[in-house]
Amino acid sequence: MEPDVSMETGSEIRVAVLPIGGAIPRDLLRDYVSMLARHTRVELSSISSFYVEHQKSPFAHQPWDTGALRIQFVVGGAPPSPWEDFQSNRKVLAVVGVCHCPSSPDLGLVADQFAAACKGYTSALVERCFAFCPSDAQLEDKSNKENNVILFPPSDRQAQELHMLTMVQDLAASLLMEFEKWVLRAESAGTILKTPLDSQSSLSSEEFIKAKKKRLGRAQKTIGDYCLLAGSPVDANAHYTTAIELARLTGDVFWHAGALEGSVSALLVDRMDLRDPTLEEEVKYRYYSVVQLYRRAFLQDNAQRVSTVSFELEAALKLARYLCRRELSKEVVDLLMGAADGAKSLIDASDRLILYVEIARLFGMLGYHRKAAFFSRQVAQLYLQQDNANAAVSAMQVLSITSKAYQVQSRRADSNSSVSPNGLGSGHSDVGKMHLQSIVSLFESQWNTLQMVVLREILMSSVRAGVPLAAWSAAARLLRSYYPLITPAGQSGLASSLTNSAERLPPGTRCADPALPFIRHLLLNEYGHSCSFQLEMLHSFPIHPSQVDIVKRNPGKEEWWLDSAPSGPFIYTPFSKGGPNDGNKQDLTWIVGEPVQILVELANPCGFDLTVDSIYLSVHSVNFDVFPLSDVDNLLLGAAQGLVLSDPFRCCGSGKLKNASIPNISVVPALPLLVSHVVGGDGAAILYEGEIRDIWLSLTNAGTVPIEQAHISLSGKHQDSVISIAYETLRLALPLKPGAEVTIPVTIKAWQLSLVDSDHAMSKNAPLSTGKMSKEGNGPLLLVYYAGPLEPSDPSGEKQSPVPPGRRLVVPLHVCVLQGLRFVRARLLSMEIPAHVSETLPKPLENGNSFEVTPDFSEHKNDRLIRIDPYRGSWGLRLLELELSNPTDVAFEVSVLIQLEKKDRHGLMSVDLDSADMDCHKTRIDRDYSARVLIPLEHFKLPIIDGSFFAKDAQTDNCVGKVSNTGCSERNTKAELDACINNLVSKIKVRWQSGRNSCGELNIKDAIQAALQTSVMDVLLPDPLTFGFRLRKKETMPNQTNPTGKLNGFSDEPFAQSDGCNLRPKGSILAHEMTPMEILVRNNTKEMIKMNLSITCRDVAGENCVEGDKATVLWAGVLSGIELVVPPLQEITHPFSFYFLVPGEYTLLGAAVIDDATDILRTCARTNSAVEPIFCRGSPFHVHVVGTL
Amino acid sequence: MTSATACFVIVSRNDIPIYDAELGSSTVRKEDAAHQHQFILHAALDVVQDVAWTTSAMFLKSVDRFNDLVVSVYVTAGHILLNPICYLLMLLHDSRNEDGMKSFFQEVHELYIKILLNPLYLPGSRITSSHFDTKVRALARKYL
Repeated sequence: MEPDVSMETGSEIRVAVLPIGGAIPRDLLRDYVSMLARHTRVELSSISSFYVEHQKSPFAHQPWDTGALRIQFVVGGAPPSPWEDFQSNRKVLAVVGVCHCPSSPDLGLVADQFAAACKGYTSALVERCFAFCPSDAQLEDKSNKENNVILFPPSDRQAQELHMLTMVQDLAASLLMEFEKWVLRAESAGTILKTPLDSQSSLSSEEFIKAKKKRLGRAQKTIGDYCLLAGSPVDANAHYTTAIELARLTGDVFWHAGALEGSVSALLVDRMDLRDPTLEEEVKYRYYSVVQLYRRAFLQDNAQRVSTVSFELEAALKLARYLCRRELSKEVVDLLMGAADGAKSLIDASDRLILYVEIARLFGMLGYHRKAAFFSRQVAQLYLQQDNANAAVSAMQVLSITSKAYQVQSRRADSNSSVSPNGLGSGHSDVGKMHLQSIVSLFESQWNTLQMVVLREILMSSVRAGVPLAAWSAAARLLRSYYPLITPAGQSGLASSLTNSAERLPPGTRCADPALPFIRHLLLNEYGHSCSFQLEMLHSFPIHPSQVDIVKRNPGKEEWWLDSAPSGPFIYTPFSKGGPNDGNKQDLTWIVGEPVQILVELANPCGFDLTVDSIYLSVHSVNFDVFPLSDVDNLLLGAAQGLVLSDPFRCCGSGKLKNASIPNISVVPALPLLVSHVVGGDGAAILYEGEIRDIWLSLTNAGTVPIEQAHISLSGKHQDSVISIAYETLRLALPLKPGAEVTIPVTIKAWQLSLVDSDHAMSKNAPLSTGKMSKEGNGPLLLVYYAGPLEPSDPSGEKQSPVPPGRRLVVPLHVCVLQGLRFVRARLLSMEIPAHVSETLPKPLENGNSFEVTPDFSEHKNDRLIRIDPYRGSWGLRLLELELSNPTDVAFEVSVLIQLEKKDRHGLMSVDLDSADMDCHKTRIDRDYSARVLIPLEHFKLPIIDGSFFAKDAQTDNCVGKVSNTGCSERNTKAELDACINNLVSKIKVRWQSGRNSCGELNIKDAIQAALQTSVMDVLLPDPLTFGFRLRKKETMPNQTNPTGKLNGFSDEPFAQSDGCNLRPKGSILAHEMTPMEILVRNNTKEMIKMNLSITCRDVAGENCVEGDKATVLWAGVLSGIELVVPPLQEITHPFSFYFLVPGEYTLLGAAVIDDATDILRTCARTNSAVEPIFCRGSPFHVHVVGTL
Repeated sequence: MTSATACFVIVSRNDIPIYDAELGSSTVRKEDAAHQHQFILHAALDVVQDVAWTTSAMFLKSVDRFNDLVVSVYVTAGHILLNPICYLLMLLHDSRNEDGMKSFFQEVHELYIKILLNPLYLPGSRITSSHFDTKVRALARKYL
């Protein structure tokens, strides 16, 4: 088979081009040959001047105006084909020698050599020898003419080309004349034409006539061939027609096919470019016949001896090439597939090689790149079967061509055509495909088997061909992209291939393909940004990022840090403007004089050892000196010790630079650097809930520039837990010189743990130290914005950027909150402890200084939780009980503090808060115990039932008197009530202390609020009537009801009593003695109250001991049915006397039925009926009667 | 199994194989053969892509061949509309059992649709289900 056959091939004159004489430099030979070889078509019109018609030309219809001769130059010549009789274009019809005169001084010798070389080409009709660059001496030598050596005098290129054209035209004219001669001789004398098919077959068996006809037919076919070569298709066609007829008659199938083929060539000469459908149909029809005939010839003849398959395949390829267009692809594919099937029948390996080459080329022309690659690989395999270096080179080159289709091309090739890397997808590739393919990396794409095979074959052929660079590249691609699929042994093999190739390469050679799989370069600077220079980001290690934040300074503003997104550590902040630094391009700022940590991470996923010689940091765009503080050795040492761990399979195959963005690095002059530490250790402060403590924060300027501006703000969670920051201290310390230090106290109050946390801790019964702590890192953050002077102090004087940036220091207040006292519940106690009757009444409310009788919380008396002044009882007192439990492992001491307001109404009276505090005794709650704390709420009683309540709550005074308190408050919104409660609650503080230095406040606001919600009115408002008993002095003998008209008349009593019965125990009463007493009834409203008062006395059993059969008490005066009218805000005393017969405990009770009750009273009594009498009952009073003194 | 050689590949729209299996009964030089089979199937994609546009048939019998090995293809519906879930089921075989092949393709197609309906399966990604693999091989034994 011959390569590159087409339908035109039949009309091409084959000319061998041979280098003659001394060695010709390669470039020159190529130059000479190219000058010659461009003349593949010589117009008949141009050769007419060289043509001499010796006798009548057999080419009667030669188109001298339009026709042309086609010449095919075969450089280096070709061995004679056994089939050259069958197809005359296979004959070498002319020989052209090329000689380089400087290397061949003796032209005579050249002529001899040329003549000798021509001997090999028996079919050659014309011989020429061209000698280039002759010396003057050679030009002078007259013998050249005889030697038949044509000298090309040295001149410029154009002249040489013209000379060459002339020579070729001369050659063509000579050839034409020779063809004429040959045809004339053949027509007259006949010729014996044989093919290898005929060589051993005897004609004897056949009829003589038939043999003669056969011979005639073959002669006609050959004459047709010559006509075609001579550029006269009409003549050729005539001869071919005759030949076809004769061959058909004689059954000479093979020649029949040949003639038919020739006729198509004749038809197509000069019409190859025209696409005439009818012509195309004709050509197709005839060629399918040709193929059929060749096949029949193959069947007829002895296939083992010699095969005509190659002609059949050539015909198929010729047709395929003729039809090779996209729209006819199906037909072409069928032809090519048929041809590929024929490969099995080819005996000669080189025939198969040519066949595959041609098929591959045709598929490539069709745009079937994968098919082309497939057959190219078949070609390469055939080459590799041959055992010589040239074949290996060919194999390597062919495989390199396929690498694009298999997407394994070298990076250098890739860069040339990087725009369209879709090799696997041909024509129908849609837009998204390219993108997808770039995402699907080589390793993940499942054609990887093919890719690896192809690369391995390239590597093998390169090694065999001895091309180290190609071998290196192939091994590198294989190793880099597919290492996870290669066994360690295979990797080692590849590594040694790399090494071997590298040894053969001249030093300094660079290959575009990176060899090692994934050497990941990771740059991490001190801000925790990580920027990968080659491959993707791995991790970021924030190295104290909060201390070195850089904040752009907004010089126009007082608060310069606003409006400028900090440059880290957050890559994204919602406040950053989508400005020039969009995308993932990072802006880094390096500061002069401060070390920047750059972390380079190297991973070796290969199965063999690697040596890293050096690592460079290249920084473009900035002119500053970088010198490493640590060197590569340390780095590698660290890596060897396992400090850098990496997973080689993490980013397998992603050779694409996915996130690679080289950051913009800008360098700014030195900035101040504030460093903070907590005095007493940077560990977390462990605080119980509600604990208040000062944290002393020491700020030091570790930079070389003074800090001129500083501002502290709060951020993070639980900001309200920071009670105070000593802003002033910091401000006064400015400017903070380099090295200077300032300590500022920050007062924090530990926040409440959320219920979830505490419940969780409770349910799990976790250890106290861990389970009940608050989570780390949720404490408040102090943001210190600071900056140096506006004018940079850099003396270099070079032009500076407008304002040096400021910085931000984030100081997390490490607070670890432990669960403290747990609040269980709060409730309002409604217990009633009677007061003792004495000569005075318990202190009334409006006295103000009633805290004297605050219940005594005593830890010393275990038998009683509360000690109450027995003479007072719960008179006018409400108790709020808080139940607290201590789940911690330390003891707490709780004290209740009630802040009393000044009562401005009476001007003189004021409350000293400190003294109020003093009186509160402490309750100790041991670990795992609960305790109850009582809070007396007496102090909140209002003196009268209206007015002041509203005054306290900042309500308008208009409604006083007109609208009742209760009615008003019921109409009030709930918010008002809440405000009232808040007011009440805010006065109660439960402080605790644990150990020596832990103290805090219990947050019980909500709890108290809940407890008071329902009964706030009871707590706040007094009853409309207050009843009180006291002993009457003996000397005064009031026997009638006597309105005193004094508001605070009671307060005088103790002083009046001083001369009285001070020998007796206070308030003690003797039995069998008349005891004068009086009842005081006070009207707390602003309206006159008319009532029916009655007094009862009960003994310990609760029996009425004044009335009835077993009365143990005698009395004087009126005890029941006392009609009284009490003016508003006044009180009335009613005297009476008791005579106790039996010592013991008695209880006195005053009660009244109010006549003509007003609305206010009805509301107080919570009754709606207007008729129903309103019953008022006072607090009970105790009477202790002793028998004798 | 009557077929000595069979190589089955499902190719996604991006010409990336998402499933491949050697189904042949011959065990000789399996490794090399597998490479060659994949090469043939890869090359056949060129032809298949052209042919698929010229016909509405889903089953494309013997669209390509190399030596004794024939490539038959089942084009899933939707390639006309450039549907993203258009796939080629490609079989390289040396048998002539056309009916069996057709049934094989149809049943594998059903299997594949089941895979597609799995919400956890990303269309176009590699099929790694061993269940699918087992079923395909069972079908190959049954029909090929």
